[in-house]
Amino acid sequence: MEHIQRALDIARKDLTRYTRSLFIWAMMIAAPLLIAGLIYFAFSGLGGDGGFSVPATRLHVVNLDQPGGQAAGFAAGTLLLDFLQSEQLSELVQVTVGQDEYSARAAVEALSADVAVIIPQNLTDAVVGSAAGATLTMVQDPTLTIGPGIVKSLLAGFLDGFSGSKIAPQVVVQQLDDRGIELEPQTLQGVALEYAAWATELGRSQGSQEHPLISIQAPPARVARQSTLAKLAGQILAGQLVFFSFFTAASTAQSIITEEEEHTLARLFTTPTARTTILGGKLLAVFLLVLGQAVVLTVVSALVFGVQWGQPLSVALVTLGLVVASSGFGTFLMSFVRSTQQAGPVLGGVLTIMGMAGGLFTTGFESLPGFLDTLSLLVPQGWALRGWKLSLAGAGASELWLPVGVMLAMGALFFALGATTFRRRLA
Amino acid sequence: MSTDPTPSTAAIQVRGLHKHYDDVHAVRGIDFDVHSGEIFSLLGPNGAGKTTTISILSCLLQPSDGDAWVMGHSIRDDSMAVKRAIGVVPQEVALYPDLSARENLTFWGKMYGLRGPALRQRVDEVLEITGLTDRQKGRVDKFSGGMQRRLNIGIGLLPQPQILFLDEPTVGIDPQSRRNILDQVKEFNRQGMTILYTTHYMEEAQELSDHIAIMDQGKLIAYGTHQELVEIVGELDRIRLTINATSDRVLGSWESTEGVRRISAEDGTITLMVDDSNAVLPRLFETAAQADVRITHIEVQEPNLEAVFLHLTGRALRD
Repeated sequence: MEHIQRALDIARKDLTRYTRSLFIWAMMIAAPLLIAGLIYFAFSGLGGDGGFSVPATRLHVVNLDQPGGQAAGFAAGTLLLDFLQSEQLSELVQVTVGQDEYSARAAVEALSADVAVIIPQNLTDAVVGSAAGATLTMVQDPTLTIGPGIVKSLLAGFLDGFSGSKIAPQVVVQQLDDRGIELEPQTLQGVALEYAAWATELGRSQGSQEHPLISIQAPPARVARQSTLAKLAGQILAGQLVFFSFFTAASTAQSIITEEEEHTLARLFTTPTARTTILGGKLLAVFLLVLGQAVVLTVVSALVFGVQWGQPLSVALVTLGLVVASSGFGTFLMSFVRSTQQAGPVLGGVLTIMGMAGGLFTTGFESLPGFLDTLSLLVPQGWALRGWKLSLAGAGASELWLPVGVMLAMGALFFALGATTFRRRLA
Repeated sequence: MSTDPTPSTAAIQVRGLHKHYDDVHAVRGIDFDVHSGEIFSLLGPNGAGKTTTISILSCLLQPSDGDAWVMGHSIRDDSMAVKRAIGVVPQEVALYPDLSARENLTFWGKMYGLRGPALRQRVDEVLEITGLTDRQKGRVDKFSGGMQRRLNIGIGLLPQPQILFLDEPTVGIDPQSRRNILDQVKEFNRQGMTILYTTHYMEEAQELSDHIAIMDQGKLIAYGTHQELVEIVGELDRIRLTINATSDRVLGSWESTEGVRRISAEDGTITLMVDDSNAVLPRLFETAAQADVRITHIEVQEPNLEAVFLHLTGRALRD
């Protein structure tokens, strides 16, 4: 009992010292929350209620379309112009109408328009008549990309409907021909017109509801966005939590070296306290500090960012694995370091490289090369991250046995190696 | 391999103690006894092996060979019993700078097995002894060097040890703090504590010690009371001089001057051991004048421990 009591006294003393260190607070709690917070707010528009938006593109339209008699009142150019001038697109494009091609080019050159569209003379004929095709001309300010891209997409979407009106009669003719029925040209034209009207209406109705382009402008409901952000924050924080847990563990294991330099370790060895008790007490402090950090980070991130870390038992298991793995590795790493001066670069370098190998800094990226995933399994950080990702995805305790088991085994192995090295070194 | 100590009243018995690190021999087979209730000083220059010896006796280091018994307990076989009998004040200030004086004392008291009211009472007593009661809540890193030294000593007193090891406790502090520490050491001894004191200050060993062991290069080169040690150099006086020229202009002729037994020059100061300084000094001035050298400073001392060290090693006892 006396040994345990003294080990606890040493751990309490170390924890008291850590709580008075601004560096420990900064690296333990502030840094991971700050990094995750910055990324979170960057993705959420700094807490505002809207996503990102683009200014409306100034569009100059020249309609040269001249429908022939065969169109029976149908005018593709007018339809297109109406579409571009519709209320639904008013936040995307601001349309002005010109008379000729010259005015269109002049508007773009004078920078009074970002994009100009020239509707050709034979558009209606191409849609419902005999013309093989028609070409819409787009003139744009070469320094712009987003606005012209939007206009191009709008045009492509609208013209797809017209292409359908060309294809629809052909399909009708083919199918009726297969049944030995012949159609009159006027009937075919009617089919084309009917299809064009339907496509136009469809385009309008889609535009008023959930047009793919408009969906950029109008993000999903707030609750859904928060949920997505919370998931993103969870992923980022999992990486940060693992990285800073290992950092905290190594930093605090460094206290053995600090005590060597402060000469207090040698003095401790002259007291009637066993060396194993002294070493045990110091490592207990490391374990408790990392545990405290994990608890604080998971609770604060749940409250601030709405991160749902998973089922309580899963969270407890992954936390345990993380604390054991990071404490063990921190002890192991510091057992090779000779001075606190040496500790800084070793700690930063080794943990950053291992963090990268473990995928801690790329948690939000979906499409990474497969070998990185394999590489992450070589380091305890990779298993810790895997455990947290599973827990975040709602995995139960039974699904976590592998990452948690590997973390515990790695932690125990590193701890044994580190403690042995320290004992030899301090003998 | 340890052997039983000779039955004795000695608080510490050291027999054939060796410590070497690869090719470096820090301690080369030393033997001495420290009697209960005395102040015993290990005197020697830096690197003589004093700290290594005290580290072995406080069970911080394992000896390469030989053994020592502290209050009858072997440092090899019963280190915990040894540690329970001693208080250690290391040469360096070994405190937690970010804890207060009271927090430091409380923690170290626990490491000595003190708990509860007994611990609080002892902490209060030590704060009183070290004169830090008013500053007990202050962080140690805000203390002056002298205050830190006092607290450093106070921690060694916490277990009320039978033997107190003090390893160069006055290094790097102001004269007033040094005086306080020396007075405290004498007071601890008056209260019955056996003290093993290491120093490279001849005056401290001379003032404090009942017995002195002089160490040099890992060996014990002399042992005895102050009087016994001084008798080693007989009735020789010591003359210390500085001159306005390089020493080689007069060193040869002074060495052959009648009455000069030994001469050494170090850092611009020439030290001579002479039979009778009154008889020799006029001859030295005469020789200097012939060599056109002027004596700029002169100091005559009766035999002391520094003279003993010079006599035994041919070198001055310096930092």
